Amino acid sequence: MSHTRTEWFSTFRYVVPADFENWMEKLAADGWNVDKIGQWSSIRMVFRKTEPKQYRYIFDIHTSTKRDYLETYRQFDWEFVGQMASCFIWRKEYTTVRPESFTDLESVEKRNRNVMNAVLVSFILFVVITIVMIAAALLSSSRMSSEETLQMILFIAFAGLFSTYLGWVVWKIFRNRER
Amino acid sequence: MFFILFALREEKHGYGIMQDVEKITSGRIKLGAGTVYQSLSKLESDGLIQPTQEIERKKQYQITKIGEKILSEEIDRIRELFRITEDFK
Repeated sequence: MSHTRTEWFSTFRYVVPADFENWMEKLAADGWNVDKIGQWSSIRMVFRKTEPKQYRYIFDIHTSTKRDYLETYRQFDWEFVGQMASCFIWRKEYTTVRPESFTDLESVEKRNRNVMNAVLVSFILFVVITIVMIAAALLSSSRMSSEETLQMILFIAFAGLFSTYLGWVVWKIFRNRER
Repeated sequence: MFFILFALREEKHGYGIMQDVEKITSGRIKLGAGTVYQSLSKLESDGLIQPTQEIERKKQYQITKIGEKILSEEIDRIRELFRITEDFK
């Protein structure tokens, strides 16, 4: 039996913060844990087989944290697992009461709004890129070779698909903003 | 926000705020780290609290004059609500 397990594109699959947290918690309960989360963990995350653990995971996002952000969480006994870009992952082991980091609806919504806004920026960017590429293709279609046309179509298709995916992510987080 | 502002009539750090709020609400409200950090950032940017010093990497905060004024107004509002609803069963 393998003692490691690799998960690909986890943050792209579990786009709602609460879903990501629950997924990590379920893996921990099954005895799969990460030692450290790093910049590329959103693409590839390696879990190690351990004893089953009852961890509460927290997904938080801050584009610019103040110096006391990490210290505040540590004061509350949260273990810093790692950071992917501006996403911070915390965990705390528990036995009976499942600990929370966001203890009122206002702060849960604020966290989710911050995540949604970060995705929204990428969504708008990709929509603009898609529109610009379509306009450029239409304006210069007569001057392009068949190979250039194919490349352009593939690029537009990719940008369009990714824009649609990002739009779906924004919608899904918005629909789940209260948890 | 009200309880955090209320707790910061005396200088405290994040965890100290949580302990104070839990105590004054008889355990009913137990603030989490994310909520405390968000609230402190918001209250500080609104000028209602200010950092005072750092002890063992723990940043201490205290209410400002504007914060005291807002807190006092909020207490008056709650007192009025209490007075109005006192006889209501």
